[in-house]
Amino acid sequence: MWGLGILKGMAVTMRNAMRGPITVRYPDQRLPLPERARWAVSHRYDENGRPKCTACLICVKECPDHILSIAVSRTADGGKHIDSYRYELGACMMCGLCVEACPYDAIEMSHEYELASADQGDLVRELLHDVDAASPRRAASPAKEAADA
Amino acid sequence: MSDIGRIGPSTGVVPTEGAHRIPVLPRGLRRAPSGIDEVATEHLIVNMGPQHPSTHGVLHILLELDGEVVVAAEASLGYLHRGIEKLVEHRRYHQIGTLLDRADYVSGLHSETALAMAVESLAGIEVPEKAQWIRSLVMEVNRITSHMLWLGTFGLDLGAMAPFLYTMREREALLDILEAITGSRMMFNYVRPGGVLADLPAGIGVALDTFLATFDGYMDEYDTLLGGNEIFVERVRGVGVIDATTATAFGMTGACLRAAGVDYDVRKAAPYAAYAHVEFEVPLGTVGDCWDRYAVRMEELRWAGRLIRQLLDGMPEGDHTAKVPKGLRPPAGESYAAVESPRGELGIHLVSDGSDRPYRMRLRSPAYFNLAVIDEALSGGLVADAVATLGSLDIVLGEIDR
Repeated sequence: MWGLGILKGMAVTMRNAMRGPITVRYPDQRLPLPERARWAVSHRYDENGRPKCTACLICVKECPDHILSIAVSRTADGGKHIDSYRYELGACMMCGLCVEACPYDAIEMSHEYELASADQGDLVRELLHDVDAASPRRAASPAKEAADA
Repeated sequence: MSDIGRIGPSTGVVPTEGAHRIPVLPRGLRRAPSGIDEVATEHLIVNMGPQHPSTHGVLHILLELDGEVVVAAEASLGYLHRGIEKLVEHRRYHQIGTLLDRADYVSGLHSETALAMAVESLAGIEVPEKAQWIRSLVMEVNRITSHMLWLGTFGLDLGAMAPFLYTMREREALLDILEAITGSRMMFNYVRPGGVLADLPAGIGVALDTFLATFDGYMDEYDTLLGGNEIFVERVRGVGVIDATTATAFGMTGACLRAAGVDYDVRKAAPYAAYAHVEFEVPLGTVGDCWDRYAVRMEELRWAGRLIRQLLDGMPEGDHTAKVPKGLRPPAGESYAAVESPRGELGIHLVSDGSDRPYRMRLRSPAYFNLAVIDEALSGGLVADAVATLGSLDIVLGEIDR
């Protein structure tokens, strides 16, 4: 009979109309992000609150879009000083290659995902500003540093 | 093939030698078929897209219409051109995948795998068994998400609103699973030369089990909603016929080719990843009309579900990746690797000059070849059927324009 299929389809639609919602009411309710979810890049800090970044610039070289830049100067004792660590959030495609490349585990793909902003300035972030870089030796072996101190 | 620039009488009544001499009309004008000689009619050229909602992205089609009948169609491409093939020449081998995700943004894992296979054959990398199985698994999950999007939008094109909402439900469930595996919902960057980025996370088998338990029921629902709907069937049956000869002549692949009855599937013809170790059938159509393309893809969806089950059950133990140096420098040479993406044979041709970046990369986009047939497929049909035919081709402009 012509039209029977349409009626069966209507039954399916009706069944779906009766069931409960499958979505959540964002932003009041949120779904948890899986652990591996990759969002904005952020820095990691050691137990003393100092950044783990050693300013080795590997992440800068690794980024396919060239959106990371680090301005480094030398301190009096020969160490590295990070004047600024600039991250162009608006151009980031969150591929995670910088984080994979970092030998010191100093950066991570955070779970910060509400990145829209009415201010264009928010799309460029200065992740680190005027801080001493961790020494590569210290970052590689925190235990050794504790022994030194 | 006719083109838009050369317009002439085609479906109208051709003036015969009569009692009175008929004046030569300007190009593009022809006589009304009713015999009213004074009234001349004209072919109309309609721009379909690039903002048309059923052109699946930014496709611009010039339709030459004779009333309701399409006389010629020409696709105008390039609105989404980003120069990916050129950009790749400035990326190291492990960075290329990030761009290829954005070529075919609906099924990124397939282009990533094709690239990984091309790099592996260039550099002679042996991929661990487990990585091969994970690749197949995520590709089949990706195939379902891609086909779900096609199914929903194909319904939308034909005026069926409900299936779109329901297919998004399944797509969401699988995108969540893919996010748990790869870290991203669409721009995966997961399959790398040498293997995959990371092993499957704990609990992913349970998540896929939960999905597969409901999947067949949902597929039956779609069959009721679309395949059983008389209006839908009448809109697609016998519409946009692309026969086997035309399809092969245009280099079509994937479901569009198989709908015409040609048995060609890269997974069977040249098994890659773990496809040699699993059992599956390749559904074939007969006529090559929109209905066949619909039916073939629906059957492919069901097979993808069964493949996921087999791949989960047979998942071997071992490493998820081989040791590959970051600054990979394959020896000079060429390689080609192809995968069966949801749209057809997606191939990557790499040329290496021995440096850490490819000298040239060429992406064989299946949707590009499938779209090339548009003039043959639309000509002679009704303008209302154009969206049906276009929807059934399942094009992704990101991959066509690159």
